[in-house]
Amino acid sequence: MSFLHPLALLGLAAAALPALLHLLHRRTPPELEFPPLRYLSDAERRSARRLRLRHLLLLLLRTALIVALVLAAARPLVSTRGGGRVHAPTALVVVLDNSLSAGAVVDGRPVLDRLKVATRTVLRRLAVADRCWLMLADGVARAGTAEALLSAVDSAGIDPRRLDLVAAVTRAAALVDAEPLPAREVHVVSDLQRTALTGTVQPPRGVRIIALAATGAAPPNRGIAVVRPTERAVAVTIGGTPGTPAGPVTLRLRTREVGRALAAPQATVTLPLPSSPPGWWVGEAELAPDELRADDRRPFVWRVPPAARVSAGPTVGAFLSAALAVLTEGGRVAVGSAPPSAAGAPEVTFGERPGPGGGAAGTASASVVIPPADAALLGPANRALAAHGVAWRFAAPGTPGPLASATLGTLAGVQVTRRYRLEGVRGEVGRDSAVVLATVNGEPWLVRAGTVVLVGSRLDTGWTALPATPAFVPFVDALANRLTRGETEIAEAEGAPRVVFTLRGADTVGATVYGPDPRESDLTPASRALARRVLGGADVLNDGEFAAAAFAGTRRADASGVLLVLALLLAGAELGVATLTP
Amino acid sequence: MTSTTRLDLLDPAEVARLGGIEIVAAGVVEGFLAGLHRSPFRGFSVEFTEHRAYQPGDEPRYLDWRMLARSDRLFVKQFEEETNLRAMILVDASRSMAWRGAPERLTKRAYADRLAAALALILLRQRDATGLVTFDQAVRQVVPARVKAGQWSRLVRGLLATPDGRGTAAHDALRHLTGLLARRGLVVLISDMLFDRDLALTALRYLRHRGHQVIVFHLMDPAEAELVGPPEVRFRDPESVASVVVRPRELARAYRETVRREIAAWRSACRRHGIAYHHVTTDLPFGVALRLLA
Repeated sequence: MSFLHPLALLGLAAAALPALLHLLHRRTPPELEFPPLRYLSDAERRSARRLRLRHLLLLLLRTALIVALVLAAARPLVSTRGGGRVHAPTALVVVLDNSLSAGAVVDGRPVLDRLKVATRTVLRRLAVADRCWLMLADGVARAGTAEALLSAVDSAGIDPRRLDLVAAVTRAAALVDAEPLPAREVHVVSDLQRTALTGTVQPPRGVRIIALAATGAAPPNRGIAVVRPTERAVAVTIGGTPGTPAGPVTLRLRTREVGRALAAPQATVTLPLPSSPPGWWVGEAELAPDELRADDRRPFVWRVPPAARVSAGPTVGAFLSAALAVLTEGGRVAVGSAPPSAAGAPEVTFGERPGPGGGAAGTASASVVIPPADAALLGPANRALAAHGVAWRFAAPGTPGPLASATLGTLAGVQVTRRYRLEGVRGEVGRDSAVVLATVNGEPWLVRAGTVVLVGSRLDTGWTALPATPAFVPFVDALANRLTRGETEIAEAEGAPRVVFTLRGADTVGATVYGPDPRESDLTPASRALARRVLGGADVLNDGEFAAAAFAGTRRADASGVLLVLALLLAGAELGVATLTP
Repeated sequence: MTSTTRLDLLDPAEVARLGGIEIVAAGVVEGFLAGLHRSPFRGFSVEFTEHRAYQPGDEPRYLDWRMLARSDRLFVKQFEEETNLRAMILVDASRSMAWRGAPERLTKRAYADRLAAALALILLRQRDATGLVTFDQAVRQVVPARVKAGQWSRLVRGLLATPDGRGTAAHDALRHLTGLLARRGLVVLISDMLFDRDLALTALRYLRHRGHQVIVFHLMDPAEAELVGPPEVRFRDPESVASVVVRPRELARAYRETVRREIAAWRSACRRHGIAYHHVTTDLPFGVALRLLA
């Protein structure tokens, strides 16, 4: 049992009043002469037992009356099996999954509408003593009053981000567990996508989780999961609910349709891309409209770089020379001096020292500098770097280790057995002029300083396993056409479908393609058993049961009415006993 | 004096305000005798003594028909008692008798004095030798039984000369009385009977055994019959240091039952021993109290 106004229980001290008044009142009664005292004594002796009982009964009745009134004022809440209208103060997080999949239309009604109705039902029953948060697909827990949270629910739309339900419920459970309230609950209001339930929630002891069950069978849906442009073609992978029949996929460049194919979920179709001149190109893959519109289109970007003119001395080694030959044959680079028709194409020099025009940023010449095989030549190489204004130099040999790179994913894990540490010249390392592109053991291994790119190892299998991997030629391609120009890889990010270009000055040096998480397209709901298991033993309930089960663990009935009736009865009994002529 | 202003039927307290004991007693007796159809205490003699003018209430059998024939006026014949009745009136003058439950009422002692004076006047008018004993824990005044003129005044003075006493020991007074009553006679005890019943009955039984006719007036203030008072009060016995704290309202019924039981016990015990017992409250008109003896 708990109390809405526990401070009122201080009034229980008043329960001692009848006894105190009785004792105080007895001390100074008026004194009167009364001759037939022997009759009085006799009457009292005969009535003593009955009077003692009566006094005790009156004392008990009056004490009980005060106790009942004080308890009624404290608004006691008692557990009820039925529908008590109040509940114990509860810490509550409502996880409203307004992720992309909630935008699906089922039976002519958006799933999000159903989720909002269930959420509002819970929020409207919040009491003043409750502490509540609302967590949306962005994962942010918003605290507030019932009115504020209801307003947030009303204004919540479809969020293109995916909600990691297990992580969200885990954080919500930890949040309510930190609250010093008698009850702690997490309400999961979601479409319970099967793909959203990976991992397992381990709720803290005493935290109750209830989840709204999914309705009906999985609605059919197709979505563009991945668009991967390659050489002269683009591969489009279709996601969605398994079993959904194939639908048409259209490829557009700007507004022009350039390809069309038929694809079902989990299938990949390849559509040709038209030949394009050098530059950044934006296209879009689109599906026919279905139950979930938000995943029916996804943009893509590809870069057609101008072929760099490369020159490499004999000291660069056989592997690098071979890679450049392959790139030359593929038209990715050209060898020799630039003809007049190729004006604007950058020139890249591979060698142990910077090329003649490299060094100053913004020029068309760039260099890729590898360490000399002979350690005795390291000093002249460093002096040449310094002469070209490069704020990095080769230092002492470093320890072997695997490569790690955020921008060059294909290098990750490639073993480096021999290397020189790259270190910046003190006081000359500018934040904009130097970018660490790859590391070994946390130390720079690939650094770009202006138009000069320094590599910590010779590109030889005696130094690193990289030349023996399939990633080597693309790496050299990136060195020649992208890294020396300061361009980055085309990144992908979760969000509303769009493309955001990265600019450096007037140059476009990168792009980020936003699109929804492919897993959002699979609308297959999790079974109740799976949801219960993943959500830490949550009660998975349909709409009606969900509304009834909220706060059910701590539902209380206000017993003050019963106590007031009891107080009335006690007052009546007291009046009867007090006024009854003995 | 008309029948509507008969003092014997008025409220005792109102009557007492008319004057002293003599005046009140005389008035009461006049009214009382006027309302009787026959004399209350007939003597044992039939010896003629004198004529008296007929008064309403006199029995027709005492009319002197010859005088009526001769003078055409109504006379009744009065007779001399052959054997003298010796009456002793015992008045309890203890402390408890000086109590009254309300200011507008007489104290029990005042009521007892006036009743005793009226009774003595009636007896003396019948030419019965009448005496008086007042007592509390001891005998305070003794007026021997006489029938001579001025006896009533002596009795009244004896009443007035007895102050309010302290405790009560009726059996001692009654035992002392047995020594004073050598001849058989009438003993009238006027008391609130707030003493040990068994001891008092022993003494009364002894008087009865000696051949006395015994009459007991058990005086009680109406406030003694019903327990009323503040919500809680300490009642103190005026004759002792004893006291008790009670709530009158919750003890009223039990008290009423106790009083009723006490009166019933006195009545039963007196009847068992041939003693006349009369319960009288101090708001009872004197005439009604006297009529109890008729």
